[in-house]
Amino acid sequence: MIESSHSRQDMQYRQFGMHRHAYAAMRKQSGVRALVVALAVATALWAALAARPLLAQNVDPTPIPAQEPAAAAGTPVSANDINAVARQLWCPLCSGVRLDACELKACAQMKDEIGIMLGQGTQVQEIKDIFVNRYGPQVLGEPPRSGFNWLAWALPFIVLVGGGVYLYTRARAMGREPNPAPSVAAAPTSEYDRKLDAELKQYD
Amino acid sequence: MIFDVGHLLLITALLLAIFGVVVAFWGGHTRNVKLVASSFNAVYATFALVALAAVILWYGLLGDHFELSYVWNHSEIALPNFYKFAALWGGQAGSLLFWVLILTAFGTAVALQNRNKHQVLMPYVNGVLMFTSVFFLTLLVFAASPFERVAFVPADGQGLNPLLQNYWMVIHPVMLYLGYVGLAVPFAFAGAALISRKLDNEWVRTVRRWTLIPWLFLSLGIIMGSQWAYMELGWGGYWAWDPVENASFLPWLTATAFLHSIIIQEQRGILKVWNMVLIWATYFLVILGTFTTRSGVLESVHAFARSNVGVYFLVFLIIVVFSFLYLLFTRLPLLKAEQPIDSYMSREAAFLANNWVFAAIAFATLWGTFFPMFSELLTGQRISVAAPFFNKVNGPLFMLLVILMGVGPLMGWRHTSAASLRKQFVWPLIAMVVIGVVTYFVGRSIFASLGLAVLAFAAATIVQEYVRGLMARRATTNENYLVAMGNLWRRNGRRYGGYLVHLSIVMIGVAVVGNEFYQQTTNVTLARGEVVQLGGFDIEFGGMRVENESNRDVYAAQVTIFDTDSGKQLGEIAPSRNVYFKTPDMPTSEVGLRMTPIQDVYVVLNGWDDTGNSATFTIYINPLTMWMWIGGLVLMLGTLIASWPSPTRRRSETFSAVAYATGD
Amino acid sequence: MSLDPLLTGDPLLTDDTLLPAEGPQKRSVYIWQGAIVLVLLLLFAGLGFQLWRTNHAEQRAAGSAPAFTVTTFDGETISSADLLGKGVVLNFWASWCDPCREEADLLQANWERERENGIVFVGLDYLDQEPAALAYMEEFGITYPSGQDLQSNAARRYGIKGVPETFFINPEGAITEIVIGPITGQARMDTLLDEIRPVQ
Repeated sequence: MIESSHSRQDMQYRQFGMHRHAYAAMRKQSGVRALVVALAVATALWAALAARPLLAQNVDPTPIPAQEPAAAAGTPVSANDINAVARQLWCPLCSGVRLDACELKACAQMKDEIGIMLGQGTQVQEIKDIFVNRYGPQVLGEPPRSGFNWLAWALPFIVLVGGGVYLYTRARAMGREPNPAPSVAAAPTSEYDRKLDAELKQYD
Repeated sequence: MIFDVGHLLLITALLLAIFGVVVAFWGGHTRNVKLVASSFNAVYATFALVALAAVILWYGLLGDHFELSYVWNHSEIALPNFYKFAALWGGQAGSLLFWVLILTAFGTAVALQNRNKHQVLMPYVNGVLMFTSVFFLTLLVFAASPFERVAFVPADGQGLNPLLQNYWMVIHPVMLYLGYVGLAVPFAFAGAALISRKLDNEWVRTVRRWTLIPWLFLSLGIIMGSQWAYMELGWGGYWAWDPVENASFLPWLTATAFLHSIIIQEQRGILKVWNMVLIWATYFLVILGTFTTRSGVLESVHAFARSNVGVYFLVFLIIVVFSFLYLLFTRLPLLKAEQPIDSYMSREAAFLANNWVFAAIAFATLWGTFFPMFSELLTGQRISVAAPFFNKVNGPLFMLLVILMGVGPLMGWRHTSAASLRKQFVWPLIAMVVIGVVTYFVGRSIFASLGLAVLAFAAATIVQEYVRGLMARRATTNENYLVAMGNLWRRNGRRYGGYLVHLSIVMIGVAVVGNEFYQQTTNVTLARGEVVQLGGFDIEFGGMRVENESNRDVYAAQVTIFDTDSGKQLGEIAPSRNVYFKTPDMPTSEVGLRMTPIQDVYVVLNGWDDTGNSATFTIYINPLTMWMWIGGLVLMLGTLIASWPSPTRRRSETFSAVAYATGD
Repeated sequence: MSLDPLLTGDPLLTDDTLLPAEGPQKRSVYIWQGAIVLVLLLLFAGLGFQLWRTNHAEQRAAGSAPAFTVTTFDGETISSADLLGKGVVLNFWASWCDPCREEADLLQANWERERENGIVFVGLDYLDQEPAALAYMEEFGITYPSGQDLQSNAARRYGIKGVPETFFINPEGAITEIVIGPITGQARMDTLLDEIRPVQ
């Protein structure tokens, strides 16, 4: 069985027209590079995206004029000003309903209070802090980044990276050790597929 | 009387299913032909009994038999017949009955199709499927009987939950259940392979289609659910990462990963353990999702009324998990990989990476869904994990997935040369850069442009593959483009149908980016005849009108939309509120919607004064959102093409082992 | 029906070469298996506990009352420890809650009647907004100490189902009765109060 698996591997090397060691080295190098690049890109992207609050509520590319928070005390506060803040908060009485879309009486009162606070010149961040202090972190719609709740953010990342590293080492180990399982010849393709593949090759 | 018969039918079905499980496993183990034959008969008979019980409940619903507690709680005389029919799955007990009905129907279909095939596997397949039926029938008999009576005969029922009285809400659960329950079939085959130790590629080849079809239903169920949320909930979005939504999305993620990874097992003989784990995880997540939505363990707007089915579910879950782990661990040596991965620049490596990201997304979603529970247990503080968390964590992961979706088809099996890669990547990369730059100058949002650029890349690779396929066919056969396309689909459905599904995912991605990043909104009170301007539209309020229907009043605002620049009238919509007589304090919302592929004008009626002379609206402009529904149609088409038996393949089914392994 | 020849000679079952090689790899496999089982057990433990909690939240009566601290709208700080020796009527309410209005007058009248008899009324304002809450208290002339239940800490400890919900706590600090929904009349109120009246 071991012999058969060897001969199969040898065939691969011939296919690539390379000496066995050169092939192994190339495979290793390109593998490491590809994985490192992929991991780095993924990590950087993710870190960049997750580190700062970004989605629609905050980075509105084309804010309609009325949506900008009232700048100073005394300016009249419109429903749009209030909703711009309410979009960033979650109804503590409901599950998973954004405050601006919530139609409970309690939510209406919360929006009224946001209006009062905006009218007094309170900044959006302060309003959010007041809400968290009063109703608890559930109004944020995400785990606060402190204490145990860091785990909510960290674990998916740890699993992603850990899984990637595990896969990488396993794939390498698999490639290195002589193959223990019975080798099945690569299945011959059906007539049609072979023809199509041949045609496709011409275009490459 | 007739309803006692219904209850009796369920008890008989339970006993029969238990009998079926015993003879299936015993017959499979001792290879006793007669026992195995009786397990098949038990499958058919259980289905017949459950179907009869369902018919009796339908009779109760349509005939307004309010002496049944279920009918009393979920129907009323004035309810339109359509919803009376649908009330079967509108409540806890009925939907459990519906669930068993679908499960036994699937079991029967599998048994009929494979009566004389897979002799080693089939007894166990019957056994595993029937074991699941036993569980649900136990619930129906002991914990949530749909045939329970009330002590008196009420004159009228309490009515169906108003939120469920919507066309989409009627089909969406059916689709979801068909998907959910159907995924038990591939799991049953996996279980059968483990139990019988017949762990070659046979079960994997058999379940591909049995996975694709439930996957299609599940996908459509999720999309229809989004459609319902978009039209009914009135917050301008379609997906809130609510625990119940996540419960349907989790098995979708693992099932999608499974559909990809079985291709590598067929092709290269690797990932055998992983495939087992994936399909088990899918089944586990289906049951877990059902458990969480029905036991009150997680808070959600969609959850069923709390009841005592939770303990049953927990016990069943524990049985499923640990018996599977026992089987897997003892069979581990038989699941060795046959071939190594040759190169990281290969299609199997891309598939591997795809599975890695799918698994990560599934984990992040599961973790986020259950995190509030753990957090409260450990810190005593109540937190919520909603869209902000999932968007931040899953958003980038999905982007990575889309990149891999583009890269995969450009790779060859085993190894791709650098020269071929360069050639393959040129056009997609150009498309990516162009779209990225153009959208940035139009939309001014870096993240949206990043997302659209990546989507453009994936779309371009698919188009490129189609063009190459068409050219190749035309070069050999001289067909015209349409015929060539048809033949590509017919003869290489697995590959080109799959690409079509990828394209649908790109469309859905475009809709997500458009809705998430480019949405505009305003909240206004308009007097009759007054106009508000938003996103290039003039929106005019023309007054209120009331319609009286059998079980509700509909208050509709007449709203006309004009193009701001040309002043041309574009359409009329009627955002409305439904006030149900049985639940007047729970008015439901019906969004006024004008859909175009470019953008939706989406108007929610918040309130009005008694004279009807003024009303308050929340108006959203949702760019590109329609592509989500178009994507749903393309997804359906693609999946059907991919699962249609191809003429070439049918011919070679005799040496199917060889032929199946060659598909894409 | 005849069975396949496969049934009689399953090669996978007899081929010894396929059995695993004994070696160092074995232990790592066991560690993995153990870890997976452990994680799943933890998940089930969490689910089981959560399930138990959701189903058994009613069995709160007759236990000792959980501690709470509240800063009233007047700025006074009241803690449950200070109230030992007195009967306590702990009322969870909110200004947006319509049924609360049905019992508001009753609560205030009984507070006025019983304040000299060693019974304290405390209002805990649940997920409420200060301006609306103050208006509500004004409307019903509420003078017993009442304040916001910050971050719903007390509400969670007491496991309330909603508002209004009222806990009757005796001088020893044990809950004697829980009323979910508004208290329906003076007669009912009297029975409830008698149970927590300090011995004079």
